[in-house]
Amino acid sequence: MVVAGQELRDLWLGGRALLLTLAFSLLLSVVSYLVATNQALNYLEQRESVSLTLKVAVAVGALLSLLAAADTISGERERGTLESLLVTPVSRQRLVAGKLAAVLSLWIGAFAITTPYVWYLGRGIGVVGESLAAGFVVGTLVAVFLASLGVLVSTFSGSNRISLSVSLLLLLALFAPTQFPTGAQQGWAANLLLRVNPITAGEHYIGKIVVDDHSWSHDTWWLVSPALGAAVFGVAAIAAARSISLRGGSTS
Amino acid sequence: MSAVVEVHGVRKEYGSHVAVENLTFAVEAGEILGVLGPNGAGKTTAIRVLTTILSPTRGSFVVAGAPCTKPTEIRKAIGVLPESAGYPEQQTGEEFLRFHARLYGHRRASAAAVAKSLLAEVGLAERARSLVASYSRGMRQRLGLARALVNDPVVVFLDEPTLGLDPAGQRQVLALVRSLAQDRGATVLLSTHLLAEVEELCTRVLILNRGRVAADGTVSEVARTAAAPRSARVRVPPERVDDACAALASAAGVEIVELATGQPGGLVVRFSSADDRPGTSALVALADATIPVHAFELEGARLSDAFLAMTGGD
Repeated sequence: MVVAGQELRDLWLGGRALLLTLAFSLLLSVVSYLVATNQALNYLEQRESVSLTLKVAVAVGALLSLLAAADTISGERERGTLESLLVTPVSRQRLVAGKLAAVLSLWIGAFAITTPYVWYLGRGIGVVGESLAAGFVVGTLVAVFLASLGVLVSTFSGSNRISLSVSLLLLLALFAPTQFPTGAQQGWAANLLLRVNPITAGEHYIGKIVVDDHSWSHDTWWLVSPALGAAVFGVAAIAAARSISLRGGSTS
Repeated sequence: MSAVVEVHGVRKEYGSHVAVENLTFAVEAGEILGVLGPNGAGKTTAIRVLTTILSPTRGSFVVAGAPCTKPTEIRKAIGVLPESAGYPEQQTGEEFLRFHARLYGHRRASAAAVAKSLLAEVGLAERARSLVASYSRGMRQRLGLARALVNDPVVVFLDEPTLGLDPAGQRQVLALVRSLAQDRGATVLLSTHLLAEVEELCTRVLILNRGRVAADGTVSEVARTAAAPRSARVRVPPERVDDACAALASAAGVEIVELATGQPGGLVVRFSSADDRPGTSALVALADATIPVHAFELEGARLSDAFLAMTGGD
């Protein structure tokens, strides 16, 4: 709690989180404007507008968590503050857990910003509540997954630059399937890839709930990957905390 | 007195490189141990092993009664100022100390009280609410010292606390180090390059060279062992110079007696290498001859000479 509290203060009062959420809100404004315009021209259904905005919010909100997570350990290492933390009686696992919790506040902030946009785009068709709930569940799972991934990379990176580069590279690899042409997204292999990748599976689930108006229990298989990703990488990030060293790389 | 730090045969390897080999020593309660050595001698590695940042490849140690198998217990009892420690620029000095006090289990109110008291102790009370970014290097080091004290430690490890400080800053930090032992009764392990300060401050010295203990003892013991003085400068009344020369020439262990140039009554005495207590017989000879001794200074008896002799001037 102490570590998480201090990290939250550093993140938000230090201005880094405010800057990231400001950029997020600007992006979401542009996306919402475009979506609303398309909706007005009947190119998009109202449900599709909500789904698209929510997917962007989940993807970018989770990205913010990844960006902050990539700085957690390698940042302390680079600033020379890691050793002072490691000589305290607080275990390395609790240190990482506190930092992870603070990083996830960025997703919470992003979700709070998203709420009025979803309400505006989905008002009148009874989709706002379930859209927000689905967005929150999927976004939280994806954010935990990506933040844990960022912390893991940061734990073993010698510098912040390496940590950030590797994290973004992994994120691009995860997003790549969403950019495949429609034809390439069909067939059992493509379907498996969509289901295995926590980001694509989560976004697919949002589409099922918001656009297809499916019930929560109808497509739960699509939630398995984000949930597993969050659990496995969350546990791995905490477990790898034992390997935190002053130089990065393996434990010395 | 009992040993607060006991180290037995500690070895630390980084791959094929052995940073510390067979490190064995003990430090009594309330002592200030100066850990000396050239760059790469293994000082920082030794401190990181003892502060549980690194685990030893071999050997064992006990710090403040806690064995190396219980690192959390050790961390509760020690304070550490790491080499080239960094500080969060966006926090104030008070916030920084409050946070670290809370990491040691202080509640919010007591953490604030500890922070306030320590800032006053290190002379930063007036800058308590300034951002660390605005602190000078000397102020940061004093803040680091305060951070090392938030848990009222039994043993304090200071790794190059005066590195990069101007003479005034060095003096301030060293005065604080002295007060740690005198006022708080803490045991201090001080790694530094400032040999003159070590002579003045430390009760004992440990010289490391290439990862091994080259010398361990009091400053005078180490200086004597490593660089046994081979000469002395003596000053007697000018009218007794001839008598003094005769007396010294007959003293055991004295090889040569010369007049010091440009110094009335000054003599330079060179001792034989076999003399393990140089100077004693010379002084006895002068006393027996009832010659007043105005000054007597052994040369080669300083810690710096010992340091250079033991480390090969690396």
